[in-house]
Amino acid sequence: MYEEPYRWVEAVGNRRQYLDEQFTQGAPVVALTYADGILLVTVSRGTPKLYEIYDRIALGGMGHPADLEKLRFSLLEMAHVEGFNRSPSDVTGARLMKYGLAPAIKQAFEEIYKAPFIVKILLAELGPKPERDAFLTINYDGTFEESRRWAGLGATPAVQAQMGRYLESQAGCEQAPLAQAFETALCAWAVGALAQTAPEPSTGESTPGSDPSEKAAGAVAATEDKAALLAHVRKTVAEKSLECVLLERKGPGSSKYRALRPDELGTLFPPAVKASTPT
Amino acid sequence: MGMQGDFFQLLKEQGYQFGNPVAASTGMEIPTATTILALKYRDGVLVAGDRRATAGNMVMYDRTDKVLEIDRHSVMAIAGVPATAYEMVRVLEHSFKYYRRTQLQELSFEGKLRAVSKLLKENVAAALAGTGAVVPVFAGYDHDQGAAKIYFYDILGAEFEGVEYAVSGSGSPTIRGILHYMNTWGPQPLATLPEEQATVQALRLLASAAEFDSATGGVNRELNLYPVVKLITEAGVQTVADATLKRLYEAEVARMVQR
Repeated sequence: MYEEPYRWVEAVGNRRQYLDEQFTQGAPVVALTYADGILLVTVSRGTPKLYEIYDRIALGGMGHPADLEKLRFSLLEMAHVEGFNRSPSDVTGARLMKYGLAPAIKQAFEEIYKAPFIVKILLAELGPKPERDAFLTINYDGTFEESRRWAGLGATPAVQAQMGRYLESQAGCEQAPLAQAFETALCAWAVGALAQTAPEPSTGESTPGSDPSEKAAGAVAATEDKAALLAHVRKTVAEKSLECVLLERKGPGSSKYRALRPDELGTLFPPAVKASTPT
Repeated sequence: MGMQGDFFQLLKEQGYQFGNPVAASTGMEIPTATTILALKYRDGVLVAGDRRATAGNMVMYDRTDKVLEIDRHSVMAIAGVPATAYEMVRVLEHSFKYYRRTQLQELSFEGKLRAVSKLLKENVAAALAGTGAVVPVFAGYDHDQGAAKIYFYDILGAEFEGVEYAVSGSGSPTIRGILHYMNTWGPQPLATLPEEQATVQALRLLASAAEFDSATGGVNRELNLYPVVKLITEAGVQTVADATLKRLYEAEVARMVQR
């Protein structure tokens, strides 16, 4: 059994393989700083994947809904007790991640007799100034990363890297108005979504349950041409619902989180997506 | 666990205690805040409070904010011990947010009323000991009913709807009579007053309360200190700017007093 160190390493390896497969069907999440705050985008079929955690902190998730709920509740609990006992300004994404999420996820991942959390989580934190906006992402094994300006969640590190390369190429997005940032976020989302469904030449393994024709289309469009990316968004939003939330720097009151209403989304969609969006 | 979205319960599980009675026999004077009023006007509810806090016959502070926003659609105006009242507001503020974020829906207006009542009940021992009596007025926009509403409470947590208006605090008996008179035999019912006129009436009412109650602070024009006036409509809570209060006071309140 797993008593020997070698067996343990093997078990963890198996666990990674199992978890990597779990995410291939999930929708990527994109978060980025724009002129008036932070924007988060993903698509979902029913259960939402973007949530309000605290006054200036939003969460985006991928994975199993039950695991996501459990971790979301523990974050809410931690944030609110801290905000009440100290001050809302003492509730930070970094503390939630480092002392709340990361230890819990890492422990569940390494306790090989128990079920791991099937989740990847992104925390977006609105700073008092744009340059203090912060993003944190955590993988199913408890490894987390901090970044500025943008962050993304995708099925694999390779997918995330591809989304990152796309966002990196969009210079000046942090000063862009909402509509332009929204288009960039949609494109970055499509980069991730297409990369996930594209066959991976390195492994050569096929993803169970995915449609081969869709994969082929993905491979072609993954050239990161904007028209192709938006075409993929258009196809997706015809069958799934697009979620977009904002952390608005100048929003009224202390809570800066706001979900965009469907009619607002309708007006924000770039023309290439709007054409076939049912109203 | 906080699965029910009950933040107060969560706090208790973490060892938090609300409303501990302190021995009242120390002869210590505890600061209190006075005179708050809420009235229905044409577009919603107006809530106003003077800014004085007193301990015995000493003026502690003349910049107290007794009309506290709990969320975008509700305020609690406080008369009584500020220490307890501020703590209540902090608990409520976090409770409503926590409920919304965990349950992914806004806490109902009735739910909010119950939350205030619950905290007052927790505080009964302290209130009876004389160290934490709070007599709040809660006002907010009820989205289910499509109307702004006023509720007032006793120190035991019983809630009463102020259909047209509600008052609380030591200066309130004076203005309660005026409100009744105005509403019944005045030129027009309070609920039909436009925003500015309602604000003028609130300023006059608080000036009257300050006239007869030493614990109620009036307007200090030299220091530019005016009462706090907030308006609750479907769009949310909005604070009337000091500049507006100053203008209305100069034109419609001070003129009458100076004569």
